[in-house]
Amino acid sequence: MLEVFGRRPYLVLLVMALLLAPVPLLQLNDYILHVLTLFLIFAVFATGWNLTLGILGLKTLGHHAFFAVGAYASAMVSHYFGVSPWITIWLAALIAALTGLLIGFPILRIRSMPHVAIVTLAFAEIVRLVFANLKEITRGELGFWGIPPFDPIQIGETTIRFGLGNAAGSFAVAAIMFVGVHLALLLLLRGRCGLTFLAIRDAEAAAESLGVRLAAWKLFAFAISAAVVGLSGAVYAHYVLILTPTSVAGPEMLISLLAMIIVGGVGRFFGPIYGALLLTVTSELLRDFGDFRMLLYGALIIVFVFAAPAGIAGLKPRFSRKETETRKTVEAV
Amino acid sequence: MQRNFLETDRVTVAFGGIVALKDVSLSVVQGKTTAILGPNGAGKTTLFNAVAGAVRPTSGKVYFQGADITNASPSRRCHAGIARTFQITQPFGGLSVRENVMVALAARGVTMKEARAEASTYIDFVGLNAKAEDPARILSTGQRKRLELARALSTHPKLLLLDEVTGGVDRPSIPELLDVIRRLREERGITIVVVEHNMEVLLGLADNAFFLNRGEVVVTGSVEEVADHEAVRRIYLGDADVAA
Ligand SMILES: Nc1ncnc2c1ncn2[C@@H]1O[C@H](COP(=O)(O)OP(=O)(O)O)[C@@H](O)[C@H]1O
Ligand SMILES: [Mg+2]
Repeated sequence: MLEVFGRRPYLVLLVMALLLAPVPLLQLNDYILHVLTLFLIFAVFATGWNLTLGILGLKTLGHHAFFAVGAYASAMVSHYFGVSPWITIWLAALIAALTGLLIGFPILRIRSMPHVAIVTLAFAEIVRLVFANLKEITRGELGFWGIPPFDPIQIGETTIRFGLGNAAGSFAVAAIMFVGVHLALLLLLRGRCGLTFLAIRDAEAAAESLGVRLAAWKLFAFAISAAVVGLSGAVYAHYVLILTPTSVAGPEMLISLLAMIIVGGVGRFFGPIYGALLLTVTSELLRDFGDFRMLLYGALIIVFVFAAPAGIAGLKPRFSRKETETRKTVEAV
Repeated sequence: MQRNFLETDRVTVAFGGIVALKDVSLSVVQGKTTAILGPNGAGKTTLFNAVAGAVRPTSGKVYFQGADITNASPSRRCHAGIARTFQITQPFGGLSVRENVMVALAARGVTMKEARAEASTYIDFVGLNAKAEDPARILSTGQRKRLELARALSTHPKLLLLDEVTGGVDRPSIPELLDVIRRLREERGITIVVVEHNMEVLLGLADNAFFLNRGEVVVTGSVEEVADHEAVRRIYLGDADVAA
């Protein structure tokens, strides 16, 4: 599992946490905090997606659907029923997990990866269309607004507020989610669960012949992955405070997130984080260029797939060159 | 009715128009080593797949220790005591040798700590100690075959199916590999079924043999009888000519 996690994953996460901790106190300008908050949310989103895509090895291309489900579920429950977002984000993760199981079942029966890709992609499109057409409750593409931000927290004299415009508080929520989710996943994946996922990824038939119950493990991976993505969607909703089906489940979301995962390193635990950081920041720098961003993402995906399939996380030469070559010969045979 | 340790009862496997196995009935006696012989494409691997659960027979039944396992999943068959290796090895390339062996242990519910320790037993047994912490994808073919043996052993099998375990292995490493296989039976009492082309190897390893040709069992008997059989010689030598 060395290849996936590196030598000291908890230390890496600790360093990340220590880098994030002082940021809200630095009096950075709101714009920078805003970009960093988006980065953290997308990093969790990308990590969740990487669970099925890179660690379980199923070519799922529809996880933006779970982001949308999480975002809308949390937004609608808190908006219509007045439940605190602190509670509805967990509900959203649960609903996303159940949705994950729902799509996981048919995926189990599909052996060919291109078909998995197409089915999951179609699923995401269905989810987008459903949210777009449930105009009575989502207002469709006009946008669902009036989403409450997280309730303020009172600590002594200071009140911490959240939502767009309250940059420091929003950053803190995103950072806590980021560290919490990655810590939980490390605890989960460094044990039996990660071992089994990676075995399924590398040689499914062999894993099954060794007593691994494929269906159960795959469904579990789907549920966890969808829950993480759904949670990031929910936090996103209570941050940006307005949702449209296209903004959360449209093709731009798909391409951006895939680019983050691929550029960062598919199947590397920390890869998607690096990818999310790089692409969130560059895309903000390129904001004036509009659609040019998508062109850049597309180009980056192509370049990385061909030139550096292990992404940024794989650039550190962890294994010798000789080994890479052995692998190529073996694959060629 | 008293059934043998492993039995296939008129098993037919068809892939679309290709009939890979046709009414194959054979039985394996507990404690004996059984060889499956036959030219390429005869259906040997398909037979293993049908026994291990990777393919479902189009018709026919598979019995293991008296129970009908025809519709059991591969993982259930593993838990019942059937293990296999693959003709084309299937290492978990991104995992270390030790982690490869831990997969089955984890699937049995052993804790990671215990699995890590127990894995050493099997890695020692197949002589891969020096490679234990290396990623499996850098192993040579011979080492991969041994890794598959170690993985299969970690499931505590009663029946072990070895598909061309010496195939692609460099000649000097073969005796050592065969020694490992003999010890499986002697020290662990595992019933073994081997697919193997090398007659010399087989004569030193197996008790009984089945000769398959085009999906059908053509000759059955002791390994010596089968090796000497006129049909076997004709088809095998013909096959060897084609291969040469
Ligand atoms: N999954 C499959 N799909 C289609 N045809 C297959 C499949 N597996 C095996 N076959 C065919 O079945 C026949 C027997 O193959 P196999 O069992 O691999 O033979 P052997 O192991 O004796 O060389 C061959 O004609 C092969 O092409
Ligand atoms: Mg074969």
